Amino acid sequence: MQSAFDRRRINGPEDSYHPVFANEIHESSSHVHRIRENRKISDIRPIFLQPGLISQANGSAYIETESMKIACSVYGPRQSKNTAYNEKGRLNVEVKFAPYSCELRRSPLRDAEDRSIAVAIQQALLSSVQLEHFPKSTIDIFLVIIEADGIEGCIASGSIAASTALADAGIDMYGLVTSCATAVKGTDLWIDPTQEESNTANGTLILSCMPALGIVTNVWQSGRIAPSEILACIDACNDRCTDIHSVVAQALLDSAPNKI
Amino acid sequence: MASTSISKAEKSYIQAGLLANPPRRADGRSLHDFRVISLETGFAPLSNGSAHLSIGRNPHNGSGGTDIMASVKLEVESIEEDASDGGRIVCNVSCSPSAYPHLTSGALDDLQYDLTTVLHQTLSHPSLHPKNLSIIPRKKSWLLNLDLLVTADAGNIYDALFMAARAALWDTKVPRTRSVEYKSPKSLSSASGDMDVDQDTTSGFDTRKVAHATDFELPDYWDEGEILEGRERWPVAITLNLVKTIHFLDATLQEEASCASRLLVVHSYESPTSPTVQSMRMLGSEELSILHLKNLIKEAESHTNTMFSSLTAKLEDEDFRRNQKARERFGKRR
Repeated sequence: MQSAFDRRRINGPEDSYHPVFANEIHESSSHVHRIRENRKISDIRPIFLQPGLISQANGSAYIETESMKIACSVYGPRQSKNTAYNEKGRLNVEVKFAPYSCELRRSPLRDAEDRSIAVAIQQALLSSVQLEHFPKSTIDIFLVIIEADGIEGCIASGSIAASTALADAGIDMYGLVTSCATAVKGTDLWIDPTQEESNTANGTLILSCMPALGIVTNVWQSGRIAPSEILACIDACNDRCTDIHSVVAQALLDSAPNKI
Repeated sequence: MASTSISKAEKSYIQAGLLANPPRRADGRSLHDFRVISLETGFAPLSNGSAHLSIGRNPHNGSGGTDIMASVKLEVESIEEDASDGGRIVCNVSCSPSAYPHLTSGALDDLQYDLTTVLHQTLSHPSLHPKNLSIIPRKKSWLLNLDLLVTADAGNIYDALFMAARAALWDTKVPRTRSVEYKSPKSLSSASGDMDVDQDTTSGFDTRKVAHATDFELPDYWDEGEILEGRERWPVAITLNLVKTIHFLDATLQEEASCASRLLVVHSYESPTSPTVQSMRMLGSEELSILHLKNLIKEAESHTNTMFSSLTAKLEDEDFRRNQKARERFGKRR
């Protein structure tokens, strides 16, 4: 049987397993109801946001929260090739997980999970960009996830990074988009969950909004949540989004002198 | 998802009709009316459960409408990691090119990915997981493959997909299995009277339960099996199409092309009075205020209520038709 599936790369063995360390076996059994150390359940993790990191792109941003690192670059507005005339510009979001970003190695080729995150981020940004100003053009947003901490974290941090990068590129926007994720565990709402917290939660919800205008651009929910809890989640996320908005605005102001 | 391209004049005409007082739609329905839904379960004899659903089919010649065929096939899987102990569910949506003749194969693949992701993320969530998919604990379990085929799309694809998925899963029967243990034959070489060899006596103090089962068999080849557990939990979806301040349900293709955004909410009714939300997605480029979003979520719940009760009634009716009535008809023939 041909074991070289991809001739351009040096393939490892067909079957490989993640090593289990002795001290990990004892830890994993107590994970289920571990209380958060370092922060309250209503606190988000501190965000490091740096616009303008990739000089080659029109605009870029790098976001880092505890164990989530995403680099985003924006190219555009540039000419749409191969597409029919469209009087509104197109927003094209592409997400790529680096092979070393998750616990299990990811394939270097694109797969379905990349696309679902890209669709969610595009939905979050779609109503914030003034696409009527760019007929026949495309704005390309490329996100590389260097270290991932759950899908919810990727979508939330990714949309913050993408919105910052768009602002860094000087593209006309109605407002900055910020996102926040919440996990429902029993009766508690845990804001900004890590991967293991969202895996053990009943359900998770991500809200993307423009706090400056007070409107919601995207809602993404998965798992089992009662309708009353959904309304509470939306309120909690909305408050946090306003806090994150000031972080983003400050980061853009700080980097403005470098652009001149 | 622009399945048709329509002119601005037509878009504004449809929107004006929806916003008018009283609202007017092309086929005369009210804002919250559905087209005729027809459902048949068990159309695929080789699958463990199947359903054929269509929305808006022309009653005279059976043409038109959104048409979905859903089928469930169970496979035996050897467990490699803990994740698949207790079975797992995989959903897959494929769109036939005949349903989307204007899309290139790349765009069709993207559409399939998107539909598959929404369905898979919702239906394979642990909160909906049925309990009778395990065969031998920690060794073998059932892999449930739910495949949906879209043969025609006349609007409202998400509602149709979730309804067809629920119907197929309701119809699914899991074959009964029996664990089999292999014992090594006792050695026959020692002559009966020469030596008294003590057998291994099991001590009464030994309370370990060691799983000896290594394989399984089907006790009855012709038995279809037991019903898949958790059939009340399978969710139903409702798509609220949004135009300015109003929302409407079950959009045709032209109506979908004229409304800029949609909210998809999926509810599960484990207990009949208090539904839980299993999934929510926003699609489109219009914005919503927080208050409007909350109102829409409440409205979605009331719409799903009606849809769920009528779907369950129809599914129970289908069960009756295929089992009881079929037996009565067969009995009359003899």
